[in-house]
This record gives sequence, structure tokens and C-alpha cells, in this order.
Amino acid sequence: MKRVFALLCLMGLMLTTGCAKKSELRIYTWTDYLPQEVIDGFHQRTGITVTVDTYDSNETLMAKLASGVAAYDLVVPSDYIIQPLIRQKLIVPLDKSRLTNLPNLDPAFLNQRFDPGNGYSIPYLWGTTGLAYDKKKITTPVDSWDVLFDPQWTGKILMLNDPRECFAVALKRMGKSINETDPAVLHQAADMLKKQHALVRAYNSEDYDKTLASGDVLIAHGWNGQLAKVVSQNPDQFAYVLPKEGGTIWMDNVCIPTAANNADAAYLFMNYILEPEQAAKIVNGVSYASANSAAKKFISPKILNDPNIYPAADKLKGWEFLDDIGPTSRLVDDLWTEIKSQ
Amino acid sequence: MKHRWLLIHSLGVYVFLYGPILLLAALSFNRSPIGATWTGLTFNWYAKLFSDADIIDAAQRSLLIAAGATAVASVLGTAAALALSRPGTRGRGPTAGLLYLPIIVPEIVTGCALLTFFSVWRWELSLWTVGLAHISFSVSYVAIVVRARLAGIDRTLEDAAQDLGASPRAAFWRVTFPMILPGVVAGALLVFTVSIDDYVITSFVAGPASTTLPLRIASMVKTGLTPEVNAVSTLLLGLTMILVLVAQRLLRGPGEGSHI
Repeated sequence: MKRVFALLCLMGLMLTTGCAKKSELRIYTWTDYLPQEVIDGFHQRTGITVTVDTYDSNETLMAKLASGVAAYDLVVPSDYIIQPLIRQKLIVPLDKSRLTNLPNLDPAFLNQRFDPGNGYSIPYLWGTTGLAYDKKKITTPVDSWDVLFDPQWTGKILMLNDPRECFAVALKRMGKSINETDPAVLHQAADMLKKQHALVRAYNSEDYDKTLASGDVLIAHGWNGQLAKVVSQNPDQFAYVLPKEGGTIWMDNVCIPTAANNADAAYLFMNYILEPEQAAKIVNGVSYASANSAAKKFISPKILNDPNIYPAADKLKGWEFLDDIGPTSRLVDDLWTEIKSQ
Repeated sequence: MKHRWLLIHSLGVYVFLYGPILLLAALSFNRSPIGATWTGLTFNWYAKLFSDADIIDAAQRSLLIAAGATAVASVLGTAAALALSRPGTRGRGPTAGLLYLPIIVPEIVTGCALLTFFSVWRWELSLWTVGLAHISFSVSYVAIVVRARLAGIDRTLEDAAQDLGASPRAAFWRVTFPMILPGVVAGALLVFTVSIDDYVITSFVAGPASTTLPLRIASMVKTGLTPEVNAVSTLLLGLTMILVLVAQRLLRGPGEGSHI
């Protein structure tokens, strides 16, 4: 009898943990990607309590969603992970009739290859992967990825700890697409990266900006948001460059997971952050560019006029989004392991 | 001559072990938000800490889980140790071996396995799953420590107490338990610290609103660790030291020297 009672209690506990109140919204996003005032504003307007948890990589997000037992209502995956999420049925098609503020988005960012027709995702923030360097120590102006492969700067180079991004650099130097799937071409790119390995001081995707700012490296490959902050704090010493060969544009998007408990709140929030003032608050808070063109009149001029955050359209010729390369990912992973173990 | 070298060596070991911790605590009072150059004394970071809801929530969760895991694991672990030390128990060998598994198996493997387990049973990730995960690896620590303690005491005393008329329950609580108590407390303290500091397993099984302090700090690495982290670590360190001192006092109470 005691055992049955204990079992019942346990089952009761299990059931209660699953029941999210209808007045609760659980967001899973990148660290420091959503300013607190935007969250507070939503809570004041709707009375819905918002909890935010963070992840540091798309792969972590995918693992949590794939487990089927992480009940988040809103997630923010990057472009290349959206197709795999759709294939594994981890995110749901969006009912766009519930997103009345959708016209605020710049049409140039919609209907991308990674989600045709935006059936599953709405653009959130976008940026570029370029490089930043110390102008005082490297006096010839840099405009090419070649500087990352120059033996003159051995031990003073930093690359992102990201296989797709590093391959993108090598592929662009070879004049190829960053979404190349031909194994022969990928092997050539891998050889280039293997030779580079001896010149690289660190492969780091977390604090590449601080490593550059502290002088431990002179050139850092990285995402524009953090590097733009370093440059704006020290414009005489550092510069951010969009190399002429082209590179990666990345975009993070908002999606609703299949396991969401409160999709209604998720739609309310998505529509809320599509409002011009809220989108502008996000941009002003995190220093990344938004796909929301109506927001531009509320964005701080310092950010709007910063070519590192909002580059002119003509500078982005030859810049591509990362696509899911399907089964070729395995080859890229294997080659990356070989490169890192040089 | 030998004693001097021993002293130097010991001092070196202590500096190596405690130097970083003292530096961490010292820098929590440093005015500069980055780097290790001293720019002035300030209590700002502690003030900021108390208004940072994220860190406070995370610290509260960590303490709650650690307390819960310690309580449950201490009971289960002690029970396991007692059962395994009785010659008549069946399956002693295999069970004793199994006890070591959670400690030997890499944390990533344990984390994956626990996530898969919760996924198969459709058990939503939350603070409960984190607590359960912590209990699962903590039981082993307590069991091993208490077993070691049991090996060093005279089990016949329990039989003698029963011969003298005590019921089995009284014999346990009044004879055996006081003797193993230092071991139980040692195991509990060990589990408390391991639980507060666990990152890998927790990152796998944490769900909505279950970010613990290590997870929170790790996510701050990307955007900049401020001395707020030093402040919260110093406070946790202080708390742990107080716990250890209290535990030592309690054990020294009945005239027994501290055997922890």
C-alpha cells in the first residue's frame, strides 16, 4: 500500500512538471540576444511571464529539441540548421495570418534557400562573418582573406572554431561557393586549412573579440556584432573588413518548436518583436542588424551608420548564406578533425 | 634539512591550490571590470549581484538542488553502504562494482544517457530532472565514503548492543550511526560541492527555467565575465567554508576528535 502511494505521488509529480500555465512563455535563445526591457515590455502588455534560457550553439539547440522533452515555446535557430529541424519535425509551420506585423520586414531577407516562403521561420537578426585586424601593427590595408594565411603573422591569427565558417573562408579563396559539396574541392580546401593550422594561435568562437582587443592576436576571423563593438571602442586601432572574395552572411530566425506548450503566447511574442520600436530596442541592445526595415527610424544612428553592422548592399556581392549540405556534413566534420589535429 | 624542504614543498602545494581562489576573491573587490590589474577597492560588484535577477535565480536553484540531492543521496548512499557491508547480502560483488560506474563513466556519457532516459519516458526537462540526475551520481560518492568508514569500525559492537537488550533499530541509531556519522557527513559535503559545481550533466538535463549557476556563468563567458561572477563565487566559497566548519564542530562535540 505504501509502495502504491509512493508510485502515485511520483506519477503526480511527473504530470505536474509538464503543465505549463497558459500565462507562461518559455524562450530558448542565444546568450544576450534579447534585451531585458523588451521582455519586460511584453510582460507588462500581456501579463505573460517570460522565462529565457540560453544556448551557445545550434547543435545544443538541436539536441535539446530532438530529445522531445524540452518544452520551449520559441527558439532562435541559425539559417543552416532550419532544414535539419524541419526534416526531423522539430519545428512547426507558421500560421502567418497571426503575424500582422510581417510587412515590417525587408523583403530582401525573406524567401531564402534555407526556408523557401518562410514557412517555418521569421528573420530575427543577421550579420556577416568577416575579419578584424590591428591597423597600427598591420599597416598595409587589408581587403582579402589572404592575410589569415600570411606566414608573416604566424601566431597572431585567430580563426572561428567552426568547421563551416573556416571552410567558407578557404572555399571563397578558391573562388567556390561556401556550400560546395564536391569532395575533391573540399579536400583541396582542407589542405589549405591544414597548412594554415601552424599559423593559427587559437580557434575560438566565444571571445575572439577580447583576444583581438587584448593584443594576443593581430587578426581575428569572427562574427560582426562583437567585432564591431571592439572597432567602435577603438576605431584608431582596429578595423573590420568584408574581404573582397566574399564570405558568409548569417541569419538567426525565430521558430516555434513542435513540443511547445504555449504556441499562442509564442505568436503574440513574435508579432510583438516585429513591431518597429521593439525591433529597434533589440538592435540597440545587441548591436546586430535586424531584417526589420520599419525599425530603422528608431535605431540609434551610431549603429545604423556603422558599416560593420549595416553594410551597404553593394558590399555584399558574393556573400552567401550557409546552406545545409546534407550528407556532405560528415565529410566536412572528418576533414575538420584532421585539420584540428595537425 | 628534510623538514625545511618538506615545508617549502607543502607551502608550494598550498599556494598552488589556494592562490587562484584567493585571487578570485580579491578580484571581486577590484574596480576594473576586466583583467587582473588592481584599479581600486569597490563593493559595486556585490551590489550589482544582488540586483541581477538571473544570477540570483541561478544561485538559488543550484543551492536548492544541491541541498535536495545531498539529503536524498546521503540516505540512499548510507543505506547502500550498510547493506553492502553485511556478509549475508546477495549480489554484493556486482552491486559494489556498479556503485563505481557513475564516477568512472565520463560525464558526457552519463548526461547523454540521462537525457535519452527522460526522453524515452516523456519526462519533461525541468528542475526535477536536474535534481534526479544529481541524485543518481551522488549516491555513489556517499556509498563509497561510508563504506570506507564502515571498514574501519568494529561491527561487533552492534551485535553486543543487541545482546545487551537493545532492539535492532536502537542498536543502529545509538551504536552504529554515531560511529559512521563522520563518514556520512564527509560524503554529504562531497556531494554538496559536486552538485553545486556540476556543469556537463546539468547542461544535458536542464529544461525551461532550470538554469543553474554553472550554466549561467558558462553562458556569460561568451558575452563577458564581469567580477559579478567573482562575487557570487566568493559568497559560495564562504557558504561552503561555514558548512564545513559547522560540520566539524558538530562532530567534535561529543568529545571525539575530528576524523573527517
